[in-house]
Amino acid sequence: MTRFDAPRLPTYAGLAAVGLLAGLFLGRVELVALAAPFALAAAAGAALARDPQVGGAVELARERALEGEEVVATVALTSAAGADRVDVFLPLPDELAAERNPRAVRLVGAERAELEVVLRCERWGAFALGPALVRASDRLGFHRWEAPLGPRQPLRVYPTVETLRTLVAPLETQVFVGNQTSRARAEGIEFADLREWQPGDRLRSVNWRASARRNALWVNQQHPERNADVVLFLDTFTDVRSGARGTFDATVRAATSLAHRYLQRKDRVGVVAFGGYVSWLLPSSGVRQLYRIVDSLLQTDVVLSFAAKGIDLLPRRTLPPKALVLAVSPLLDARTAAALLDLRARGFDLVVIEVSPVPFVVPAGDTVSDLAYRLWRLTRESLRLRYEQAGVPVVEWQADESLEAVLEEVSSFRRRAALARA
Amino acid sequence: MILAAAAALAYAGVGAYAVTREPAFAPLVAPVAGVGAVLLLFVLVRGFDELLGWALVLGGAAYAGGTIAHGTHVDEAAPLVGVALLVCGELSAWSLDERRPVAKARAVVLLRLGAVAALAAASLAVSALVVSLSIASVGGGLVWTVLGAAAAVAVVALVVRTA
Repeated sequence: MTRFDAPRLPTYAGLAAVGLLAGLFLGRVELVALAAPFALAAAAGAALARDPQVGGAVELARERALEGEEVVATVALTSAAGADRVDVFLPLPDELAAERNPRAVRLVGAERAELEVVLRCERWGAFALGPALVRASDRLGFHRWEAPLGPRQPLRVYPTVETLRTLVAPLETQVFVGNQTSRARAEGIEFADLREWQPGDRLRSVNWRASARRNALWVNQQHPERNADVVLFLDTFTDVRSGARGTFDATVRAATSLAHRYLQRKDRVGVVAFGGYVSWLLPSSGVRQLYRIVDSLLQTDVVLSFAAKGIDLLPRRTLPPKALVLAVSPLLDARTAAALLDLRARGFDLVVIEVSPVPFVVPAGDTVSDLAYRLWRLTRESLRLRYEQAGVPVVEWQADESLEAVLEEVSSFRRRAALARA
Repeated sequence: MILAAAAALAYAGVGAYAVTREPAFAPLVAPVAGVGAVLLLFVLVRGFDELLGWALVLGGAAYAGGTIAHGTHVDEAAPLVGVALLVCGELSAWSLDERRPVAKARAVVLLRLGAVAALAAASLAVSALVVSLSIASVGGGLVWTVLGAAAAVAVVALVVRTA
């Protein structure tokens, strides 16, 4: 432990020395009497200077938690000979809050003390807690001994997931069994159509009522249940924020909710974080993939970059054929806008969920600012129109709205587009 | 806040006593005590703990000046002045420590309170003993001079060790 002495201790000793010497030379006992308390305090300070040798560790009750939950961190303290006062402080990131931190306790003898710090997880993120900072001091505060305590403890706080009942259905499904009703016709549950019997058709496929009416054998056709490949394309170039909320925060929340729900439906889900750093996670299914995705989302951050980036950077397997690409973006960076149009040009089934930055942007109030603000809004409208002309549904989502309503809007856009094609 | 007020009160007591001890010299003593009080206010309000020593020095100097000006008669209240200055220093330091919002166990507060009280009581006893010995005719001469010098050397050694 590193020792620090209170600045008043040498002052006391100096006062005592000056008082005693002045008393001696001037022959005034009052000066000696004035100096005596400081001399005694300095002597007491010298006597109290023994290292309490405080040690211990920091432990978390669990390594994973959901936003809004509480996690207990236990700081265990030991001291070889006791300590009159031990201040314990667990440094916390802004996303975590705790009451009674820092805290001061007394360690009597060689007893072990355990302090519980209840951490309130206020926002998602991946954190490394610790080391705790310990400061021991004597009873008069003349000496302090400071040291870090324990190794860093990982804590992952997952964002809360919005319950989605409806999802955007992909235009095309994959070959594996899933919960998505395919447009193709094969063995399945959902009735698709009737057709005339052909050699090789199974007897149980025959629709006897239709056959009796038509005086020939007719069989039922079904839509098979298949899974889909879904790629969550996250724009991490920019973040427009106000306080703790912002477009990036909303992007991560939306991506978590979508990944959770699509994986529940047995679809394969992958992630592409397209920004200053480009990172990706190949599509896969299952609970383990959900944890992989959420963990990768927690690590994702907005990094400023001026480098030109395109989707050629991504490995081919990241964007499998017939995949539904759900892009979650504030549509502020031209590189993302270009990459999305490129994806569409390559034939991907693309849906853009525009995390609206508008609520976070407040014009200054003067004429020029108002004009600039209106121009900016018009530019965004024009970009949206470009996407729609390319057949890409773009839906504006404000972070305080339900994501489900936005997804329903996409489905509605697709239904209208299908009717228009028909 | 309470600690800071108590520290200021102790200092004000010393200052007032020093100024009123010899009214003829009050115009000389009062500015010294006043500057010390201002420095103490800086310590207590702005947290400049490096000024605490100077505030105590000026408080002690004001008292010493008043006492020397008063004459050769021994001031029996000197131990109280010394303890008041020490208590002022301790309470100021405690007040500065309390600026950090720390959730303290009751035992920690009581322990420091007891320690400050014990230090003040012990200081008062030692200081009173010094004054009593000077008033009582226990003799003088070389032995006492050597003892005094040894005490002074011991304190200087302590200063060097703690500096």
